[in-house]
Parts: sequence; C-alpha cells; structure tokens
Amino acid sequence: MTIALPPIVEERLGNGATVAVARRPGIPLAAVRLVVRAGSALDPRGRSGLAHLVAEAARRGTRRRSGERIDEQIESLGAELGAGCDEDATYFGLSAPAEHLAQLLDVVLDLVIHPTFPAAEVTRLRRREIAALEHDLDEPGVLADRAMLEAAYGAHPYGHPVEGLQRHVGRIRRADAQGFHARWYGPAGTLLVIVGAVDPGEALALARRRLGSWRASSEEPPALPAPAPVRRSVLIVDRPDLTQSQVRIASRGIPRSGPEYFPAVVASSIFGGGFTSRLVEEIRVNRGLSYGVRSRFAMSREAGFFFVSTFTKVETTAEVVEVALGESARFCEEGPTAEELQRGQSYLAGLYPLSLETHDQVAERICDARLYGFGLDEVTGYRERVREVSAEACRDVARRYFPREDRVVVAVGPASRIARALERFGPVTVVPARRVL
Amino acid sequence: MPTTADGLVLDLSKIVGHALPNGLRLRVLPDRTAPTVSYYTFFQVGSRNERIGATGISHLFEHMMFNGAERYGPKEFDRVLESRGGSSNAYTSNDLTVYYDDFAPEALATVVDLESDRMRSLRITPETLEQEREVVKEERRLRTENSVFGLMEEQLESLVFQAHPYRWPVIGWREDIERIDAEDCRAFFRTYYAPGNAVIYAVGDLDADATLALLEEAYAGIPAGPPPPPVARGEPPQRGERRATVRYPAQAPALLVGWRGPAARSPDAPALDVLQACLAVGESSRLRRRLVREAEVAVSVHVSWGWRIDPGVFYAFMELAPGVTPERAGALLQEEIARVAARGPSPSEVRRARRLLRSAVLHELATHGGVAHALGQAEALRGDYGEATRVLEHYAAVTPGDLRRVAAEYLDPSQRCTVALDPEGAR
Repeated sequence: MTIALPPIVEERLGNGATVAVARRPGIPLAAVRLVVRAGSALDPRGRSGLAHLVAEAARRGTRRRSGERIDEQIESLGAELGAGCDEDATYFGLSAPAEHLAQLLDVVLDLVIHPTFPAAEVTRLRRREIAALEHDLDEPGVLADRAMLEAAYGAHPYGHPVEGLQRHVGRIRRADAQGFHARWYGPAGTLLVIVGAVDPGEALALARRRLGSWRASSEEPPALPAPAPVRRSVLIVDRPDLTQSQVRIASRGIPRSGPEYFPAVVASSIFGGGFTSRLVEEIRVNRGLSYGVRSRFAMSREAGFFFVSTFTKVETTAEVVEVALGESARFCEEGPTAEELQRGQSYLAGLYPLSLETHDQVAERICDARLYGFGLDEVTGYRERVREVSAEACRDVARRYFPREDRVVVAVGPASRIARALERFGPVTVVPARRVL
Repeated sequence: MPTTADGLVLDLSKIVGHALPNGLRLRVLPDRTAPTVSYYTFFQVGSRNERIGATGISHLFEHMMFNGAERYGPKEFDRVLESRGGSSNAYTSNDLTVYYDDFAPEALATVVDLESDRMRSLRITPETLEQEREVVKEERRLRTENSVFGLMEEQLESLVFQAHPYRWPVIGWREDIERIDAEDCRAFFRTYYAPGNAVIYAVGDLDADATLALLEEAYAGIPAGPPPPPVARGEPPQRGERRATVRYPAQAPALLVGWRGPAARSPDAPALDVLQACLAVGESSRLRRRLVREAEVAVSVHVSWGWRIDPGVFYAFMELAPGVTPERAGALLQEEIARVAARGPSPSEVRRARRLLRSAVLHELATHGGVAHALGQAEALRGDYGEATRVLEHYAAVTPGDLRRVAAEYLDPSQRCTVALDPEGAR
C-alpha cells in the first residue's frame, strides 16, 4: 500500500541552494520548479502585491535578455513559464521536452538571479495588475475569497491576497521591486527541483554550474506571529445586482506541518470533501440549495484556517449558513460514523496516486515537502497514515477548528436583501465591493 | 503513461476492444506506470441533439445519472465508489455527455458493476428530478446569470448560429429547465443512453483481457435501442457582421468576437489549433504582445477553438483595460487577424505554436484520465481514436500558407459576430 516515489538525488550546493532531481519513466518531458522562500507575507506594509509583481516582473528583462527575448526563447522550445507566488514562497516553473532542459534552465535561472526590472516594464505591469483587479470586481467568487482571507487573518501578514489591494499596487515603484529582490532572493534556502525524462547526474551537474555560481546574501524570512483569534461576526460584501450569494465560513486552523495534519485532512474530507460529504448531502442532495459546497483546511507554513465555501440563490443565503453551521455542530458532537470514516479513508487513499501522476505533480510535492518541512515519508506512507486516523481524532480536530462560536461568515450579495437574515450569526459589517479590492 | 519504443507518444497497438452485439463499443488500454484506473463512458448526445422547449435536457439528465438505478439505489453510486477508493464526475458539451471515474485498481469490478447498472436500469423519479432541477438552476446562476463571460458566451452562440442547435446554451434556457418532466427524461434515456450510442474507455493499471471479459459480461445483456433521430444541422449562410450588446452592472468592459469554423472532421480543424496557438498561447503570441503588452487595450486575451461534430466557434475573449471601448479593441483585433490572413505568421511563429501544441498533447497524455479523454474525444469527433496521437502529425504538417488561408477563409470581418459588454452603473 505504500506509494512509490522515484529515487531522488538531492544536493546542497556550496552557496546554500538545494537541488533535487528525479528520473521518471513516462512522457519525454522534464518539469522544472524553482522555489524562492519569499512570498506575499513579506509584502511591506502598504505595498501588498509586491511579491507577486516581482515574480511577474522578473521575466521582463535581465542583464543579458529583454523580456521579449525571454518569452521567445522559452516558448519556442515548447514551454510556457509560470511565475507567481503564494503567501510563503515564489515559484518559477515550466515543463518542456527534456532535450531542451539546459537551455530552459539557463533562461529561468537568469531571470531569477539577474532581473533588471526595466522601469517601463514595471510601470506597464502595474497598470495591468490594477486593471485586472478591476475585473475581479465582476467575479463574486473571487471577491468572497479575498474578503475571507482578510476576515480570517485580520492584520496578520497572511491577511491579504497575493495580488494585493488595488490601492497598494498603485504605489509600487521599480525601486520596491529591486529592493524586494535584493533583500529576499538569494541562493540560501532556494530550491530547484527537476523531475522527468532526465539523467540525474547530468541534470545535477547542470544545476551545479548554473545555480551554484549565484552569490547573493539574502535575508531569512522572519518568523510570523500567531494570527489573532477569529471572532463571531458577519461580513457582507455588497453586490446589489447579484441573484446568487457567494458564502464562506472561516474559523481557526493549523499550519501545514504538524501532528494534526492527517486527522484534519480526514475530518475535513468526511465533512466537506468528495461527493458524499456531510455538507454535500445536506446542502446539495437533500435541499438543492447549491450546486457545490466544500470545506478545507487552508494550511500555510506558519498558520492556517478552516473554511466552508458555497453559493446559493439570494433568498436562501441565511439558510445555507444555518445548515452548514448545524452540520458542523453535529460533526463536533458525534464525529464521523464508522462507515463514514472507512469511506473517507478509502477515498483519500485510493485517489492519492492521482495527485502524483505527472512529472509536475511530483516536482511540486518534493518542493512542498522541503518548503513546509515535512518528510517524504508522509508521501510514501500517506495511505497508512490516513488509515491510522480514528473517529475520535476526527471529532477532536473538528472540535478544535470547525466553525462553532468563533467564526466569521462572509457573504457576497445584495446587502439590502441578506443583511437582516444574517444578523443571527453575529454583528454584521457591510462593505462595498470595492473595499475588498 | 504508455510510450512507444521511441519514447514519444501513445502506443495505440496496445488497445484491445470491439463492439458488442448491442452496439456498445469497448476500448481497454493497460498501462501500469501509476496505480490508478480511469474509466470513461462517452454518450454521443449533447445540446446538439435537443429541441426548443427541452433545451438543457442533456445536462439536466447528466445529473439524474447519479441518483440510483435498479441494484444501486439513490445516493449509492458515489458512496460505493468512494468507499472503494474512487471518485466520479461527468460533463455535458454541445456534442457529448461524458462520465468518468478515477479509482484504485482494486475497485475496477465495482465500477463496472455501478456503471453497467445505471446504463441498464436508471431509475427516474419526479422527486430526484425536482432536486436536480434546483441544483442545475444554481449552476446556471453561477456560470451564466451572475457571470460576465457566461452572459456574453450565451449571446455569442445565439449570434453565430441561427438555425443549428448550437445556438442554445448547453445548460439550457431557464424556462426549459423548469419545464422538463420525468417522462421527457425517460424517453431521453431510452433513446440516447442505449448501448449503441456509447463508447467505454478503461485505461490504466489493469489486465486487458480480464477487463474486456468483465465488461462483456456486465454490458452484453443490455438491449439495443432505437437509433437516435437525425440532428437538424442546417445553417443559413451569414451575410454580414452580427452584433449584440450585453448590458450588465459590471465594473469593467469586455469583448467577445467569434466566427463559425469548420467541423471537427475537416482537415482545417488542426490548422486552426495552430492558428489559435500563434494568436494567443504564451506571452510571445501575437495578440498578447499586440493587445496586452503594446497597445494595452486588454488585460487578458483568450482565444478558443473547440472542435465539434458540426462546424463550431472560433472566438477571442478580451477583458479590456479601463476606458477602452469595445470598438477600439475590436478594430485592433481585426487588424492583427487581417495581417495574418494577408502575410501569414512567420515560420518561427508556426514552429513555436507547433511545439507548444505538442507539449500540450503530451501533457494530456501524461495521465490515465487524460489518455482516456483524448481517445474518446478523438473517436467521437474525428471518428477514430487514433486521431488522439495522429493530431501531432497534422500539426507538424501545417505551414504558414495554411494559416494564411484558414485565417482568410474563416475569420473574415463579414463573418464576424461581436458581443460587447456595456457595464452599466458603477458600484
């Protein structure tokens, strides 16, 4: 029942960077993933969105290449470069025919190590980011997720969307991008993972040459404070025109690495994963209140939160919250039945290999293990670990984290039609949609 | 995924399969690179087979398939599957309804049992229909009625097609969703879910012969059905540009421009894939460079060309920058397309597009689900599952001259349909 991972050749280079290479059979592609330990949690006050903009702007030019040259070189080899960040790290990734690995690695490392952030390019990207955020106003689900993040974390460094707030992005200057790169991008802690149809010895030698010569002293990201507790409250993001409300319920949670990980995954799956979860059963199947509902632990390196996510016609907004909270209370009281636990465990164990089918997925898992500090035995032993979780452990983890008293309800919809009904879930704050932009 | 001796693409010679006397086609492809199996059932029915008054029935019916049959009753399908380490879902398109299960190899016999049970003896009750009707109405509110792109896409299809059933949305018109009754569903099931209208693909960690035997035993007893009625596929010629405006309380403007392309079986279909990649795949693609980076009229540009049984739609969707009018963005778009039609993309642009498409095909073939999906789509749309890999040869044969020709032939301004979003009132 153990999950097989390909043999991983890993090396810590003299400059502090780590390289991991794994040869896998299958399609003749190579997945490359480079992780810099600097994410949106490091955005300076009043400059949210900076880490994200730096990731995007890095590819817009280096000492040796213009942005257009970078795009052309990568794409003419059949690859598309992904660059972006989350709250903990910045990622550069691509997947391409393995025979082009050397050329592609050369370009990727060039833009990570030597970006010049041309002024005109930074200005243009900033304009585009601001305009793109404007379109987010027309996406109720996106508004709900942005509002939930702030509601769950408050002023914590995790409490803003990676794309930033529009008013902050407008303040970002080229010097901010240069400063962020100089301060946080460096070989120490940087991780390069290559998975696919490659010879590990050759790939490692290549990485040593290209990455090992990087000399820069970056700062280590500081430890983050614990987030303030979530308080019983309701946040309404007003969109008067909608006929369907987007609903989120957030409560406290856990960081990615810790002893509660497996009980949390199993409990959340039984409660709101899959098609037979408690939430799907009550909200979709028995009541037809929504097309979709799920729950999940959002887990970052240093903190996390638990959330329920759904949507329903405006008229049943309060009802869907009531049902979700009722199911949460019931789960906290009773825990899962023996049948539910068995089903949930089989579901997670059976589907886990599907998340490791491609080179990219394997590369991502290796990166996550190193970034969050969990061992790869968690991957290979996933099925056993899931099977070891007891009904009591599920109930206990639910009692600690599922929404009960201390939780925030977020709804995006017409405030005039939903605010009154939501008052029973706590003190209501109504904000215009632009406020969460 | 399975590879050939040269390590490049799928080895189709490993597929075993045939058609049963009741018409059901079976395809099995063993591959043990990952301990998973993907099981796809393709029914050749979609919104294309519907009629006015019952639009959306294909999609609504897809929901009904999860609500119990003779041996596995209501709520049992997903419960049994999940308890054996699997998951299931489905989608409906203009042409097809596709059910797929991904699971641990040990669950194969259970999956065959579950799937054959519902193909043989689905139970359709007014109660489950009412329940799914509400769910589908929420889905429609989500994807269409509260979505800028959804509203615009619905308008575009109605402009591009005046007679063909592609003119209504796959999810159906709201009034029709409300009107469909249990008897409609039963008749629909008898006609379109008969074994002769279906193909099964099982791909993954399995034994080919044993799986085939299992499938034969489970499905052979399902009686053949009547042939589905022909589709009214006529479409009058378009004699000039068509325009529509969507007024909606949105914040930012957007533009959707479409043209009618060829059918999936046309040799021009792969050429339009290459054109699509030249235009809008990657940062160095023509439209991204020109419209997003240089002119800054758009925040994003997305070009879609989806193969369909009958001639489908080639479209460009742009989220516009603040203050940019749809007219200006549309003019720049047409200018770029006219340039391609007149002078064609350079050989290096075509090479780049072909390589990107090749990577995309390899990516799809990297998972068992992707392989099953690609094979089934190729068989349904091109009439031969071998097209799933042969498409790489088609791409390799496309020249700049081909792209000039298809751009001129299909993307002519007189054949254009334009939907502009008029954002009314700021919030």
